[in-house]
Amino acid sequence: MDAVKRLPLPLVAAVLLIVAGLAGLVRGAIPQAAGTDAAAPAVPRGPIVVSGAYVREPANGINAAAYFTIYNTTGVADVLTTVQSGAGAQASLHVESSGAMRNSAGLSIPAQGSAALSPGKGHVMIEKLYGPLKPGQSVNFQLTFAKAGQLLLTAPVIAVTAPAPIAVAP
Amino acid sequence: MSRPRAAAAVLAVLAVLSVAGCGSDGSTGPSSTATEVRGELNDHTDSTYQGLALTPPRPRPQFTLTDTAGREFRFGAETAGKPTLLFFGYTTCPDVCPTTLADIANGLRQVPEEVRKQTQVVFVTTDVKRDTAAVIKSYLAKFDPGLPNRFIGLRGTQSEIDAAQVAAHVTLAEDEGRTHSSQVLLYGTDDYARVAFLQSNNEAAQVAHDLPLVADIK
Repeated sequence: MDAVKRLPLPLVAAVLLIVAGLAGLVRGAIPQAAGTDAAAPAVPRGPIVVSGAYVREPANGINAAAYFTIYNTTGVADVLTTVQSGAGAQASLHVESSGAMRNSAGLSIPAQGSAALSPGKGHVMIEKLYGPLKPGQSVNFQLTFAKAGQLLLTAPVIAVTAPAPIAVAP
Repeated sequence: MSRPRAAAAVLAVLAVLSVAGCGSDGSTGPSSTATEVRGELNDHTDSTYQGLALTPPRPRPQFTLTDTAGREFRFGAETAGKPTLLFFGYTTCPDVCPTTLADIANGLRQVPEEVRKQTQVVFVTTDVKRDTAAVIKSYLAKFDPGLPNRFIGLRGTQSEIDAAQVAAHVTLAEDEGRTHSSQVLLYGTDDYARVAFLQSNNEAAQVAHDLPLVADIK
């Protein structure tokens, strides 16, 4: 305790953040009790269901793309507004528009409908990776929806040439 | 509309549809139906091929770039007579480029050995600044393990890369190479491309189906 007391608080906070980022979020070992909706991260039950999630091992080692399909089981349209990732300092939603991938302010999921992020259509781009991403690891995401609020998602890292998992409707 | 004009119009539409999707310009744009149209065009437009049939066929282009060993690579001469898959992209692309190269590799793994042995895969970078020889080499090595022919990576000056794209009749890349054509052109043993592939979840199967059709099978 004495040792901790002598350390400046910002440094302690920074170290804790780095430890959380490396050990917890990247490896998928985030304490489940910490999240409120974390009972079944792969396919959480609730108004919004996410399936077929994966991150392809980056061939460039610089940035990675995550893909998944979102199902809206409610009678009201919702919007995925922001995404945070445990694998890198920056995560952004990219959606194909007019022939190019562009930063998107939000991905709409129609009532009783779905929206898919798939190669060529859209992805979550993870930049400033904390470390290498290899098959067998998993990456945690926090998705924020305009209506449904926050949802924790765990996506496996698959090999560069591995087939993508198939999304299953709830 | 006269025939040449009609053909030009079709080419123009295809060019617009095939500009790809790795670019990120940081802005939000209006939604587009291009994705849906592209998805439909990519399947069974010609009963012979499962990829996107090219009418008229495009001759194998002549352009000279530099390979990852620093040697001059004359595309037309060095790939002549061989089934060749040509793709323009860049290594820091997170989405379309790695998925497309993985689809090519997976398609190649499904064809007969004699077809696989003949086939050359050529990747031309559109990112002149960042994609050095070493970067391209290590990038391509993620995709081609176990295949008889290594993927060939080519680079050049901006004007050389532009000339190569013009010669191959693909849309010129923009935004430092990040918005680029997503077409994979397949040249056959007769040195014409009659089919191209666009990103879809069926791309590997399309490559596997169409590649033997343009190869030399005894």
